[in-house]
Amino acid sequence: MSNTLIQVNHLRKSFGDLEVLKDISVDVKEGEVLCIIGPSGSGKSTLLRCINQLEYPTGGEVIYKGKNLCEKKADVRKFREEVGMVFQKFNLFPLKTVLKNVAMAPVLTKHKNKKDAEKLAAELLAKVGLESKADVKPDMLSGGQQQRVAIARALAMEPTALLFDEPTSALDPELVGEVLGVMRDLAAEGMTMIIVTHEMAFARDVSDRVIFMADGYIVEEGKPEEVFGNPKEERTKAFLSRFLES
Amino acid sequence: MNLKAFSDVFSAVIPMLFRGLEITMQVAVTGIVLGFFLGAVSGYALQCKNKIAKGIANIYIWIIRGTPLVVQALYVYFAIPALITNIGGERFTLDSTLAGIIVITLNAGAFISAIVKGALEGVDIGQREAGCALGLTKGQILRQIVIPPAFKSMIPGLFNQFIISVKDTALLSIISVNEITRQTQNYVARTYNTIPAYTMCALFYLVLLSMLMILQKIVENRIKR
Repeated sequence: MSNTLIQVNHLRKSFGDLEVLKDISVDVKEGEVLCIIGPSGSGKSTLLRCINQLEYPTGGEVIYKGKNLCEKKADVRKFREEVGMVFQKFNLFPLKTVLKNVAMAPVLTKHKNKKDAEKLAAELLAKVGLESKADVKPDMLSGGQQQRVAIARALAMEPTALLFDEPTSALDPELVGEVLGVMRDLAAEGMTMIIVTHEMAFARDVSDRVIFMADGYIVEEGKPEEVFGNPKEERTKAFLSRFLES
Repeated sequence: MNLKAFSDVFSAVIPMLFRGLEITMQVAVTGIVLGFFLGAVSGYALQCKNKIAKGIANIYIWIIRGTPLVVQALYVYFAIPALITNIGGERFTLDSTLAGIIVITLNAGAFISAIVKGALEGVDIGQREAGCALGLTKGQILRQIVIPPAFKSMIPGLFNQFIISVKDTALLSIISVNEITRQTQNYVARTYNTIPAYTMCALFYLVLLSMLMILQKIVENRIKR
């Protein structure tokens, strides 16, 4: 674990009068897996969406490769090509086959030729265990399968890092495992990941560092064994109490 | 009426109705195609952030929805050429079929813009965001991600508008577009065979529109799959 890849400085975000993020600073190093946990409405997803500028921050900076993405002139598209995102609701393109979902973006943005892109897409589908589903439309797949396709789609851009926005929250409990399995593999391969999740056991096992957010602040930050094993803050203890009891 | 007289009327009216059908379809098809392009632009304007574009689209729709088609036809065929004549000094006239196509285009365009707006807004925001998050440009997101599902969801509405436009062409008889209704009127004026001519005219429309409605069902069933 070496260089800082993404650095968030004093980030703030308001929707009208509602301040969702209040002075958030955090950095992610290359190869690091950072899990963000916390109650609903604490600003976790908004933080993730501010990082890739799907939401424009009200204040603060997001630094990637030495450049502040919040500046007007910043090349946000370039950042998005390099840092992929996986959504809670998969957001696959319904009229395209699974293979085309995965192969489309590299052709459009990186001008890869179609054959190479489809070859890579097929390899990635095999990696997430869905090579047999290449030619079907997304609506023929289960939620867990759709999310694995979404991960393959993000990987097709050969990203330096991936952002996961509650990737298992829309899934039936029995389908959560297959998605987390793919994410575990990615973590083992050294992929840099920022993961917003409610899967506490997964966060504890896979992450290098855990952030607990509440009410738009980072309440606690540390290694998973510290945050889960011996939380310092009362707010963290209260949130984790149900998980720790079980 | 004896059988001989009936078959005389029949053999006179049928070819005439088919001549009218040619004009009716020419006006309706051209009108719906051009109306689609007009409606696509104005429907896109309705849901975009540009206030001026939105304003222009809204005024256009307001005028078309707020005036009868017959009045629009009279205006395009008589008033606008007269206006141009007054301003330009030289006598300006408009071919009635062309005027008819303009009126159907303007009308279809206004109603299609609502269909287009709804279809564009109906595409899940999450898919646009997914396109964004993959680094696609705005144009790529529109072409690759938004338009294909939006167009698919537009097809039933567009077909419906086409059927309405075919019926609307009958109103263009008032500006002497030689479509089905006008042909029948002319025939009746010449022959006073009022009852058989208008009966056949009505049945002809009924068959034509029934066929279009069946086609509509087939198309809708196909895109549902």
